[in-house]
Amino acid sequence: MSELESKAARQASVVYTVLSLAITLVFLVITWVDGNAYTTVARVGGMVWVFILSMIVFMPIVIPMVKKRVMG
Amino acid sequence: MSETIRKEHLAQASIPVQGMSCAACVAKVEKTLKAMTGVQEVHVNLLSGKTAVTYESNQAGVPQMVKMIQAIGYEVPEEEILLTVRGMSCAACVAKVEKAVKGMPGVTSVVVNLPAESARVKFYPGAVDKARIKKEIQALGYEASEKVTGQEALDREKEARQKELVFQTRNMWIAWPLSILVMIGMFRDMWIFPYFVPEFLGNVYVLWALTTPIAFIPGWQFFKHSWNGLKRGATDMNLLYATGIGAAYIIATINTFWPDAGFGGRGAAFFESAALLTAFIVLGRYLEALTRGRTSEAIRNLMSLQAKTARVIRNGEEVEIAADEVEIGDIVVVRPGESIPVDGEVTDGYSAVDEAMITGESMPVEKRAGSQVTGATINKTGSFKFRATRVGGETALAQIIKMVEDAQASKAPIQKLADFVAGHFIAGVHVLALIVFFFWFFIGYASFFSPASTFILSPYNLAEVGVFGFALLLSVTTLIISCPCALGLATPSAIMAGTGKGAENGILFKGADAVEASSKLNAVVFDKTGTLTKGEPSVTDVYATEGFVREDVLRLAAITEKPSEHPLGEAIVRGAKKEGLSVGDTDDFEAIPGHGVRATYQGQTILLGNRRLMQQQAIDIGNLSKKMEQLEEEGKTAMLMAIDNKAAGIIAVADILKENAKVAVERLQQMGVQVAMITGDNRRTAEAIARQVGIKTVLAEVLPQDKAAEVIKLQEKGLNVAMVGDGINDAPALAQANVGIAIGSGTDVAKETGDIILIKDDIRDVVGAIEIGRATMRKIKQNLVWAFVYNITGIPLAAGILYPFTGLLVSPELASFFMAMSSVSVTLNTLLLKRFQPSFRREQLKPSINPTPQPQTAR
Repeated sequence: MSELESKAARQASVVYTVLSLAITLVFLVITWVDGNAYTTVARVGGMVWVFILSMIVFMPIVIPMVKKRVMG
Repeated sequence: MSETIRKEHLAQASIPVQGMSCAACVAKVEKTLKAMTGVQEVHVNLLSGKTAVTYESNQAGVPQMVKMIQAIGYEVPEEEILLTVRGMSCAACVAKVEKAVKGMPGVTSVVVNLPAESARVKFYPGAVDKARIKKEIQALGYEASEKVTGQEALDREKEARQKELVFQTRNMWIAWPLSILVMIGMFRDMWIFPYFVPEFLGNVYVLWALTTPIAFIPGWQFFKHSWNGLKRGATDMNLLYATGIGAAYIIATINTFWPDAGFGGRGAAFFESAALLTAFIVLGRYLEALTRGRTSEAIRNLMSLQAKTARVIRNGEEVEIAADEVEIGDIVVVRPGESIPVDGEVTDGYSAVDEAMITGESMPVEKRAGSQVTGATINKTGSFKFRATRVGGETALAQIIKMVEDAQASKAPIQKLADFVAGHFIAGVHVLALIVFFFWFFIGYASFFSPASTFILSPYNLAEVGVFGFALLLSVTTLIISCPCALGLATPSAIMAGTGKGAENGILFKGADAVEASSKLNAVVFDKTGTLTKGEPSVTDVYATEGFVREDVLRLAAITEKPSEHPLGEAIVRGAKKEGLSVGDTDDFEAIPGHGVRATYQGQTILLGNRRLMQQQAIDIGNLSKKMEQLEEEGKTAMLMAIDNKAAGIIAVADILKENAKVAVERLQQMGVQVAMITGDNRRTAEAIARQVGIKTVLAEVLPQDKAAEVIKLQEKGLNVAMVGDGINDAPALAQANVGIAIGSGTDVAKETGDIILIKDDIRDVVGAIEIGRATMRKIKQNLVWAFVYNITGIPLAAGILYPFTGLLVSPELASFFMAMSSVSVTLNTLLLKRFQPSFRREQLKPSINPTPQPQTAR
């Protein structure tokens, strides 16, 4: 991997991780405000699953965009 | 921008430039490139024709530089590489490879074909090289190597397929027995199982121990491939499998070792989901490895016919050498039953050769000195010697294989939709899985969950499942059922089968677009001379007046015309010889320009020519005038003959129709195709031929260069037009037509223009080409409908649309079974195309049930 590619990969990882964390945070907030009582395990398990799926959704979108911007 | 950041973006490319001839050109290219934003340095080398550019990759790119160079009048040559890419399993893999390679600077186009396991990449050498392209594909987790042809390709393909089969067989042997044990263990307390299933098999630790090797040995391939893709920003169906298997396994593991963690406890340890999910996916992979590749069996059959050895005369002795060592000019000896090793011309001997494998012609063809023979055809009866004229990659077989391989590596326009859907599918499915999870977690579970819930076709109870486990189950099942494998196989597998079927019948499609276009044809324009007709005049009528004998009229006409070099004269001589008449020499011969000829033979004065010749010689032609008009109305050239100043008869000569022209035209009209004829001949002759063949639309007196314009006129009427003609003379019209069909090219197929090449000189193959095109497209549409219907119905079911009404859910293992079956059923449906035969071929094959007499060898 060239230096440029590594830089693109680093930048992309920051972007998709932040976006995935944001979605996970949205999930967490809803578990507090929707009126139902959730166990900690359900809440944490849900957060992990939402984070994984969000990463899978954002990685293929973010990586090529950042790569294009960085590498031309 | 700081110096450090600028350095990070610096990239170099060496772009080849053609057309530079002097220092001024060098300066022009350098100045143009330097004027571009982001270009730092440019060095043009006139001698090597290379331009070295240092540029900031975030501001400039190779494609823009190439555009600038082309804009100032120079060429940047593209290079093409055909790669074999192994390990792809669905349309998403195709999209993944295409996306990765297309993203490389300097790559201009990429076409990846899933069933052919190929990638055709066009790129600017210097900006990127073959090794980098291969490396990029390999980094995604696929094998990439330059495609080879011939026997080597056959061997490599066989080896790779065998390797994949062995690998998936091993996985099957691990996944299935263990999965069955897991399933029995999970349902140990049900039905009659308690009577004979030992208690320990129902223990969760035993079940965990049985499931773990399934998830991590046969299932490892999915984790590996999906991670390789994901880290480069590409997704494929392996990711769906990996998330599905991974989620089911992790939940089962947590519920086994930490039952109080709140994931549903030991009652919600879905070991059978993780195990059977993997087993069904592996089954799908195994069946795919078995069936894929069979669609291109025609090519493999052709390749396998190639002779391994050849017997050649060297230093006056017969020696056996490897077929690929035969050189042009070698004299090759062929015995009965042997395969002919290379192409050549018979020098000695007589035999009948079965050419069915190249031309599709079922009857053996006689060969004698001067006949052309084709490599890979089979000598039936006699022995003969021939001089090798084409060897190695030049042989007809090699050309045909290359053409069909190229066609199979191309994409039909209809595939664009499937590619678009599949390319965006995986991300879409994960978004959907997220929505499904949110819905069932926050709304669905509280509103609809019932402890009596079960899976479809399973007695398993979901009573102990909590909100997270329930939402996760539905989310995972949605991921599993959504795999677009069937969508990826639908089009290319049918194209491979269709082009292979064409090759079997001597019909070569140059690309997948030709197959699709041929299915949409509703007008066919035939060139007349050489296409509908034989292209050389023949004697059609001989009429003798009272007192003269028909044979004498023909014989004397032939004798008279023998010294003439006129094509009509040659036709009369050929006609007489064909009837076994002896054609002697004239005593005296005189050509009378514009009128005819005069000759004397054994004291008789013979005149042969037009009406003016007879008038000039004051010969009364009586009622011959009426007969002559009638023949001329039929488009024939009629010549009057007089012997010793007395009208003796008429000889008519015409270019005659090819054997099957009429039936082919009739069949096309029955298929709803408008048929027209185009020719440079006069309207009367053209209409006469058209009448004989049953064509109503005649485009006569059209110069060769205007034929393309006539095709445009038909296209403007909204017709999809095929032009059938000589691949060389009719090139502009063939190129203009929606489908150009070059007929009767023989075996030198590489020289031909046109989208479809017909090896045989048989017009019925035009019908065959359209029938194959239509059958292939029918198959593609069936496959696409099936694939879309599967996904459109499967996804809502997996997402739990029926659950609020029925309390039933699709289990992850059932979802994986449906997914595996969808791609297998598409492949099997495509394989049915192998049974298809063009209508004329079917008719030819019917009588062959009875034994047909074989041509006899000359004694």
